[in-house]
Amino acid sequence: MTSSLGNFSLWVTLFFSISQFFFSRKKNQLKFVTISANGLFIASFISFFLLMYAHVISDFSLVNVFQNSHTTKPLIYKISGVWGNHEGSMLLWILVLTLFNFFIYKLYNDKNSTFIFKTLEIQSLITTGFIVFTIFTSNPFKKMISVAENGLGFNPILQDPALAIHPPLLYIGYVGFSAAFSMSVATLSLNKNESFYWYNYMKPFVLAAWTFLSIGIALGSLWAYYELGWGGWWFWDPVENASFMPWLLGTALLHSLIIADKRRSLQAWVLLLAILTFLLSVIGTFLVRSGILTSVHTFALDPSRGIYILVFTALLGGYSLILFASKSKIYFSNNYFSFFSKEGAILINNIFMVVICSTVFLGTIYPLLIEALTDNKISVGEPYYNSTVVPIILPAILIMGVGPLLSWEKENISKVIKKILPSAIFTLMLSVLFFSIYKIYSLIAIAGVSLAFWIITNNLIIIYKKRFNYSIGMIISHLGVGLLILGVTGSSVWQIEKISKMKINDEIKINNYNIIFKKISEIKGPNYLALKGSFFVYNSKKKLITTLNPENRFYPITGNFTSEASIHTNISRDLYIVLGKGNINNGWTVRVYYNPLVIWIWIGALIIFLGGIASTVQNIKKIPK
Amino acid sequence: MKNHLLKIPFIFFSIILLIFFYLLIIERNPTDIPSALLNKKVQQFETSSLFNSQKFNSSQEFDNNVVLVNFFASWCKPCRDEHKFIKKISEKKNLKIIGINYKDNPKKAIEWLEKLGNPYSNVAIDRNGEIAIDWGVYGIPETFIVDAKGIIKFRHVGPITKKIYKKINLLIDEVKQ
Repeated sequence: MTSSLGNFSLWVTLFFSISQFFFSRKKNQLKFVTISANGLFIASFISFFLLMYAHVISDFSLVNVFQNSHTTKPLIYKISGVWGNHEGSMLLWILVLTLFNFFIYKLYNDKNSTFIFKTLEIQSLITTGFIVFTIFTSNPFKKMISVAENGLGFNPILQDPALAIHPPLLYIGYVGFSAAFSMSVATLSLNKNESFYWYNYMKPFVLAAWTFLSIGIALGSLWAYYELGWGGWWFWDPVENASFMPWLLGTALLHSLIIADKRRSLQAWVLLLAILTFLLSVIGTFLVRSGILTSVHTFALDPSRGIYILVFTALLGGYSLILFASKSKIYFSNNYFSFFSKEGAILINNIFMVVICSTVFLGTIYPLLIEALTDNKISVGEPYYNSTVVPIILPAILIMGVGPLLSWEKENISKVIKKILPSAIFTLMLSVLFFSIYKIYSLIAIAGVSLAFWIITNNLIIIYKKRFNYSIGMIISHLGVGLLILGVTGSSVWQIEKISKMKINDEIKINNYNIIFKKISEIKGPNYLALKGSFFVYNSKKKLITTLNPENRFYPITGNFTSEASIHTNISRDLYIVLGKGNINNGWTVRVYYNPLVIWIWIGALIIFLGGIASTVQNIKKIPK
Repeated sequence: MKNHLLKIPFIFFSIILLIFFYLLIIERNPTDIPSALLNKKVQQFETSSLFNSQKFNSSQEFDNNVVLVNFFASWCKPCRDEHKFIKKISEKKNLKIIGINYKDNPKKAIEWLEKLGNPYSNVAIDRNGEIAIDWGVYGIPETFIVDAKGIIKFRHVGPITKKIYKKINLLIDEVKQ
């Protein structure tokens, strides 16, 4: 029943998607486009909630529910289980696509009809591609041959609130870029005499996409931090890279859109970036889901899916890039500007972002290339990224601090020095103060911390001086980036790790803290059994600060073991304990981390998100009516 | 801007896609991890058997036979997927197949085998995963082919797919000779 209903709704979605494609190709078919855009959204909404319903009531007549759910799973994870697997996540992807499609349709008016229709046409092409992919290679409504009593459960390390909302946020990001892609193609297909403020339409979509992608990545990282129990928050895993690359290009896109909007220059570059950002999102999906790479995140392997996504990407990319090659010439302007100006700063930032993105891309596919050419297996890890990405990102941050203060077109050096003098002084003072407290010096730490203060003070001064001509969203986001850099630097440069075998009442010292292993007990959770350790943490004055209770969980349904790290956080550091394997006689392996300033990563990310939302709202208002 | 420069993005994009396409169609398996144990003697072990809780002594069980060793568990979904291939191998090839039941509940494992069919001539219990550690198992399912001299000739990480199944078939014939 659910299976047939679900399949039916999917086919209806496909029908509306195709009809939108054909009607938006014709002029004056607004009525049918309206029906299609609405129908498309409603139908995909229904199919998504049908699957959610099946998961909630544990309808094991569906293969998808059987494989990914279990009656003992808490309700919230039954719901998030819908997109915790490949097939369901495709439905979510389609839902977000049709939602954005609907927003684009809502922008229609008499003046922009050609542009919006063309955008809707491309958007329905993308949507159709994904629906066909879902129906034929990843159908979530596949029926079980015999109905099982209970499901196979769901990976317990995925049972986590941060992870439950992480995929939807990421998809809003990826899919938001599809709107930019469609608008870029639509712009390139306009005739010469139809010149148009396309960037005002593209900007809110890019901002929304970028904002949600940012918070999505941050949440994924937060999850990895406290759930994987490895003490770190970023592992340069191919799947992380797959979301980081569109983010980097998206950042470049976002900033160059400002130039296109304010100065009418760099238009062709923006159009290209919009195309590439979305293509990278799709290629990222391909890398993750085709099984071509292995990673901790790997979804079920299926070569036919890989071929499909690849062909689809080739069509989208081939069409848009050939269009770009033949039509973008009219978007080159002769509005030259000096490098020492706001445009110049943004352009340099753009170049840095593109270079970093290429570096990450190379690192991600390099093992594949080597294997294809030589049959050897290698892996590219943190050392590569640290030594390539960090040196490029540092000057980019330096420029990020000054960029907003520069004026358009041309800037006078003495004026700039006057503008940045206060923040330079504050940065110096704060950095000296900081290092007089922390007293651990290294070149990279000094660079990171002073750059963070540089960004923070620059933006605080803008706020303090109430320079209202700045976008408030921009200032908030940049402030967030400053805090984020502080956290990233602190936690990566000064992390201390101690691993030891501990018995009851053993003591371990880390930084200024004494940690005593008090007891271990067995507990029973809703769908797991666990060993829970109790660790008393004393500071240098022998005062008890907190008790940390890391757990070692066993999920009998899937037979998985997971370790729940226990973390004590304050604004200057995290204490992070993981309970490993062991027994009462020989003791347990205990890993303790001292992670300075980690919380600022999450606070920074949240502030970036809020700034992004503020900017998005501002730019929605700027869409020409 | 010269016209042909505008084609650069397209050319780059095409090259990258061609590489991906090549990688997809070649006989390639990303989970194919070179084993340090390949062409080395197997680690012998002693444990109990799943069915009759008698002793399981690997050197006796292997006993100068070509053996296919398969690490599995009832809680592992990919094991269920590959099970039909293991059954096929056991039906078609005259070959001893030893299962190693990894970190599993024996009751559930037996139920599982009753439901799906049992291709194994014997199943050893690896309750705490120590055998898997000795064999350098990366993740289950994992499959090894051991020749008559007790030397590991093949190792596959992950579920057996159609492609791997064909490869294993060829290999078994080769090893047997």
